[in-house]
Amino acid sequence: MRKFVSYLTAPIPAYPLGVFRLVFGLLMVFGTVRFMVLGWIEEHYTEPLFHFKYWGFEWIEPLPRIALYGIHFLMIAAALGVALATKALYRLSAITLFLTFTYTELIDLTYYLNHYYFVSLICLLLCLIPSPPPVLKKGYLVPRWAIGIFRFQITIVYVYAGLAKINYDWLIEALPLKIWLPANDKLPIIGEIFSWSITPYLFSWAGMIYDCTIPFFLMYRKTRLVAYLAVIVFHTLVGLLFQIGIFPLIMIGGTLIFFEFETNTLKSPVLHLRKQTLSWAIAVFLFVFFTFQLLFPWRYLLYKGNLFWTEEGYRFSWRVMLMEKAGTATFYIKDTCTGREGVVNNREFLNDHQEKQMAMQPDMILQFAHFLGKYYEKQGLCKPQVRAEVYVTLNGRPSQLLIDPNLNLMNEKDTFASKKWIIHHQP
Amino acid sequence: MKKFIAIALLGILAFACKKKNSEPSERFDRSKMLENFAQNLIRPAFEDLKNQVITLKTAAENFVQNTNLQNLQALQSAWESAYTAWQYANAYNFGPAGEQGLRKALVEEIGTFPVSETKIENAIANGNPNLSDFNRDARGFLAIEYLIFDLNGNNDNILNNFASANRKNFLIGVVNNIQMRIEEVALAWNGSYFDEFIRNNGTDAGSSTSQLYNEFIKSFESIKNYKVGLPLGKRPGQIQAEPTRLEAYYSGKTLQMIGEHLKAIQNIWYGTDKNGNDGIGFKEYLQSVEGGAALIAATETQWSAVLNAYNAIPQSPRISEQILNSPAAFDKLFTELQKHTRFFKSDMSSLLGITITYSSGDGD
Repeated sequence: MRKFVSYLTAPIPAYPLGVFRLVFGLLMVFGTVRFMVLGWIEEHYTEPLFHFKYWGFEWIEPLPRIALYGIHFLMIAAALGVALATKALYRLSAITLFLTFTYTELIDLTYYLNHYYFVSLICLLLCLIPSPPPVLKKGYLVPRWAIGIFRFQITIVYVYAGLAKINYDWLIEALPLKIWLPANDKLPIIGEIFSWSITPYLFSWAGMIYDCTIPFFLMYRKTRLVAYLAVIVFHTLVGLLFQIGIFPLIMIGGTLIFFEFETNTLKSPVLHLRKQTLSWAIAVFLFVFFTFQLLFPWRYLLYKGNLFWTEEGYRFSWRVMLMEKAGTATFYIKDTCTGREGVVNNREFLNDHQEKQMAMQPDMILQFAHFLGKYYEKQGLCKPQVRAEVYVTLNGRPSQLLIDPNLNLMNEKDTFASKKWIIHHQP
Repeated sequence: MKKFIAIALLGILAFACKKKNSEPSERFDRSKMLENFAQNLIRPAFEDLKNQVITLKTAAENFVQNTNLQNLQALQSAWESAYTAWQYANAYNFGPAGEQGLRKALVEEIGTFPVSETKIENAIANGNPNLSDFNRDARGFLAIEYLIFDLNGNNDNILNNFASANRKNFLIGVVNNIQMRIEEVALAWNGSYFDEFIRNNGTDAGSSTSQLYNEFIKSFESIKNYKVGLPLGKRPGQIQAEPTRLEAYYSGKTLQMIGEHLKAIQNIWYGTDKNGNDGIGFKEYLQSVEGGAALIAATETQWSAVLNAYNAIPQSPRISEQILNSPAAFDKLFTELQKHTRFFKSDMSSLLGITITYSSGDGD
């Protein structure tokens, strides 16, 4: 144990951390500016009449438009601070970036993306490290854990994403890539290969193997450079194929943390290295944090049924680009006193993205049902009952009912308990 | 490790090659599909609409010059032809017909219903109609319909009303406004947008396939929600049928127009032009993808149920009376359209890999 602690706290060159925070901070600036320029503050946060909440964060509300712009400008300033500042200003920037970014992500579950979750976690870890030395200055040292936690977190992301790909559809049927790749056959130069029937199989297996192994090849000095080239090629290709925003850049930038940049540590002057580099509080926090990171993605094992179908335990588990799923959800509202039943036009309340996400995820269906029930009660309906007919297609199979279409959803609650009203997938 | 990868890859290669022969179809060329849509469906639809509106304009000018029964009937018939032509252009609200700044999509600018009688009468009384404001329920084809059709078919009422010069001016103003908007779109489809549409041949949000698909779905859903559902009183909170919400309420041509609209939707799915020549459409696209054959079969089965339900609706009395007294047949159409939605909506976009929103997706 003592050996382990001294290993974790041993000073190593700080340069990789400097590169990492510089690249990460600048990408956050870019990502935030991009988000504002695309008009997504309005589209995602202020225009929709209804927001899907995260479990436990139902109290998070979107601030008015002006305040949201303020928060995004603050985020930009904080990201610059994370990239460039030191000491107290760095700490303040890191905490601000974590809080502002996480707040905006928690506004609406519709926009949940694994890479936003990843960004939030990285921001949190950036709050915990010792005050980093001036950026891109050689000769400074930090305790090993301050770099190790980022390498560990990135390793978890890759390996779990890889393990998630070990399933029948992905490896044997090459689904959903068999659906997605031909849709890209008009890309310049490389488009042609996506119309070949072998390509989805190659990409499925290559993707799985890449995800499972790349962090280890990055850790090992002899393979590092080749592995990093693979990182660049892989994420660039995926970025070209799919509409995934700045995620490829984040991974190409983030994996730089695996590099050492300077080897001759003994000659470097030991500066700014406090004696107590890992406080008990932080050590305990990190232990809990990584235990959670390692265990939480496995919670799906506690639920019955096909994970891709029920999505019980699907999020926060690095299941990225794993399935092609879409649904059509029709909500029926019944006035209990008159018995008259009406049909909801979802577009009156939701934007395209919200409707698309809601129509295949049981917890979001339930949230929307409750919103509709309360809304129509205010409109004067007597004790409205809400039921939903939801047809979902998974990986190109004919669509089938996702939930019991006759159940009054107003009587159901969203908990971590298994949702008994999900109709299990018929293969 | 390297050995393992090599063996795995060889294994897949062998496996994939074996599978190749059983693939449903070889290369599908999206450009050819877009070309068929542009060449044989969309451009002719706007061209036809443009010509019908020119005829409508002539009929309206004749009518205001010589306000008599004969000219009124000619105007009514010109309106019917033009509005029928519109059903075939109803689904193409993108590109030159899409939303841009203050201008809403074409279907909202010229196809809004129900119209507001009050707003129209006020605009006439004021004598100075503003045809570019937010009052889209006081212009377009259905404002003309209100002006030239009497609910009870009493043409004398219409002729008497048109003694007013303001009313005549308003009619001409609305017709000119429709003509201006349609000529703009037809011109674009005859010009550079035609090639732009075919060239933009990806499947990302903003690609021609995605835009066409999205508007196709919206157009289909507008039949279900606005042309059938709302008048039947299907929206939660409605307590009865509301005949005044019907499309073509004054002329009573509701059923006929729904029929034309369904036909137009069907043409898009099959890629068929107005003369019945079958080209490359969504059906052919589906044939080329994983799981497509099953979806085509399911779609065709349910679509014939939709058409059967439509054909079972009595031609008379008009729909505004049927939904009050014997709504069952019209109601059945709603049910079948509702059942059909998933085949067009989620099932199809999922199989075709069409991106329908601009937001970032999950990355890997």
